[in-house]
Amino acid sequence: MAKRTTVLKVSGLRRAFGPNTIFDKFNLEVRAGEAVALTGRNGAGKSTLLRCIVGADRPDDGNVEVCGNPMRETSPEIRRDVATVIDDLDFFPDLSVVEHLDLLARAHGISEPDEIVDEVLEEVQLVPQSGQLPGTLSSGQRRRLALATAFVRPRKLLILDEPEQRLDTEGLTWLAGRLKTERQGGLAIVLASHEPSLVDTVATRVVELGTARG
Amino acid sequence: MDAGADEPVFESAAQLPGAGRVPPEAATAPASARELKGLIRDWRRGRATKKLGEAFSDGYVVVIGALMIGAMVINVILKAQRVVAQCTAASCLSARTILPWAALAGAVAVALAASRLFGPVLASAAEGFWLLDTPVSRAKLLGARLVAAVVVAFVGGAAIGALISALTGSGLAEVLIWAAATGLSGAGAVAFAAAQQGIDRHLLTRAATYVFGVLGIAALMIVVAVAARWTSLGLGLDVGGQLGVVMIGFSGLVLIASIVLARIRLGRIRRTRLLSGGALVSGISGAFYALDIGLARDIVVERRAMEIGHVKPHRGKGLGVEAIMWREWQRLRRFPQPLFVVGGTIVVPYAADALGMSTLTTVFSALALFAATIPLLGGLRVLTRTGGLARCLPFSLAQIKLASITVPAVVEAVWTLAVTPAFVGLGDSTTHRDLTTALLMALATGAAGLLGAVRWTQAKGVDFGAPMISTQAGALPPGLMTNLFRGFDVCLLSTFPMLLGGSPFWSLAIAAIAALILLNSWDAESVRARQAEQQKLLEASRKQRDAAKTAAQQRKR
Repeated sequence: MAKRTTVLKVSGLRRAFGPNTIFDKFNLEVRAGEAVALTGRNGAGKSTLLRCIVGADRPDDGNVEVCGNPMRETSPEIRRDVATVIDDLDFFPDLSVVEHLDLLARAHGISEPDEIVDEVLEEVQLVPQSGQLPGTLSSGQRRRLALATAFVRPRKLLILDEPEQRLDTEGLTWLAGRLKTERQGGLAIVLASHEPSLVDTVATRVVELGTARG
Repeated sequence: MDAGADEPVFESAAQLPGAGRVPPEAATAPASARELKGLIRDWRRGRATKKLGEAFSDGYVVVIGALMIGAMVINVILKAQRVVAQCTAASCLSARTILPWAALAGAVAVALAASRLFGPVLASAAEGFWLLDTPVSRAKLLGARLVAAVVVAFVGGAAIGALISALTGSGLAEVLIWAAATGLSGAGAVAFAAAQQGIDRHLLTRAATYVFGVLGIAALMIVVAVAARWTSLGLGLDVGGQLGVVMIGFSGLVLIASIVLARIRLGRIRRTRLLSGGALVSGISGAFYALDIGLARDIVVERRAMEIGHVKPHRGKGLGVEAIMWREWQRLRRFPQPLFVVGGTIVVPYAADALGMSTLTTVFSALALFAATIPLLGGLRVLTRTGGLARCLPFSLAQIKLASITVPAVVEAVWTLAVTPAFVGLGDSTTHRDLTTALLMALATGAAGLLGAVRWTQAKGVDFGAPMISTQAGALPPGLMTNLFRGFDVCLLSTFPMLLGGSPFWSLAIAAIAALILLNSWDAESVRARQAEQQKLLEASRKQRDAAKTAAQQRKR
């Protein structure tokens, strides 16, 4: 079997808030077709770790490389390769659901994005809301739209922070199936999750952060 | 799911906690709104730790300061009134006759727009939960709110009417007439909007807002035209006051009719409509408390988008950064109101030129354009405020910023061409310039307005987690006060050379430097990120050197 390329390499990562060290000397390597699930209790540092990996937060020490390039959030190459769904996704208040996805696909160079946009809208069950403005969506629908943004564009690494949040049972089943298919298709995935069924279906490796409560 | 071992087991419904209890029967005579309000007032008074007099006595410095500043302002207005009252030129007479009308129309337009945004009748979330769901008359609970909104509009309108009338040199009787007319018109506008709110309709309020806005601008343009001697008014000196009295009667009638209608319909206003106005006020007041005007605007924009709710989707165009530019164009076509506002500012340089203030034309025009351009930069605001959306796009921040401002820049270019004749100088008593200089001045002014708006739009909220700065007013987070001047600084700095009579090339050079900083990711945050990255690399190389040194020492041993 051909050796799979390393997509994400995290070495010696450290983040502390004052005297409280969230994680230290954290190492992680994720290859194409691998899915790593970060688990652990609330406050274990899963979201902080993901934010450091995608460049939304600045680690105190350590390095992050994506496809051999040092992680710089401002780098167009990194933005091209890494799709993220973390809590800071914003929306244009005056663009509809479908227009957001169309814009994203076109920005990534997809010349005829209608097919993929329609397909993803169907999957996330937002077809009836395609003309709605984001401010009118429910929290669950906004979450689905955030997830859709990751699937209408090319990607080598997918980073998700608790993607199961605000999804109903049906949505969770769809997400688990979709992520599994994406992984089998060669996508590298890192996700933080509290949902055992999602972790069991998607993850090839589980990394538990923090220590168990005494 | 199986019940846990520790969970209690109930064999019948009768054993459930609370079983057997019945809800209290509906009262035949529930408490009146007056009783409920009295009860809440008693509780609040019971918890007060100070009387009103004591609070004033504790804050005597603020009270005396406010009185002194108020007296100074009134003194300045009275002095200005005496000076302007002596002016008998056509421009002064036209301003004295027409500007109070412009103020009246403007006050009504603002009152209607604010009413549409906030309600005008509103309730807090607590009132909505604890009071509006009770069987107490909603009309009686909200009656005081309606009166308060109308009174505030009357006071605000009267102040504006009196101020404009006084500053244009009118006598005391006319000042009082225009204060009453503008105050009653503002109050009538709010009462009218409340009457529309009662039947959940906003079309008439919206239409009236635009009509009065256009009337205000038209009145200003007439003043400019008379001052520039393009036309003459041909009205008597006392006609303004007479029309003011007519306006008092008319707006008084509108106020009475609207307030009666609003009072009848008060009980029909939906709870969600009342609460959304309350939530908006609380959100905006929170943003203003942090002096984050950008956030306050975001809240208003989000609220408007929620009101619209649904749009007809349009297919995008172009690929890569072009897709962002096309989307900006489509957004502007969908909601073209900001374009009209920018169009309205074209009158500013012409007005300044006609009124003989050609030295200040660049400053006034840049500031007006700066304020009008902010709504055009909604895309830039969304892409820069959190970084989440920009991270999804495969471009550098500089590319994203340039793509977002391309359409607004084209609009500013058209503005530049439209205002160039004003910089050439049209009036008899103004400075006349050659076409090239005028075009360069217009370009520099347009650039100053655009870049000021870009700086304002990109402003980050105040970081309350950062170390505080010690000031005489107490500890303040860095950036709290400077946030207020963002954008104004670029406008003033860029137009400063022209204000001093220097070449517009100096202004263009300053604007070019500002553009490099603002659009090329050289803003403070990016610079800090780069510094941190370099610091990290230095640390890593230092560690490597130390490790190599230690290894060499060990080998020697």
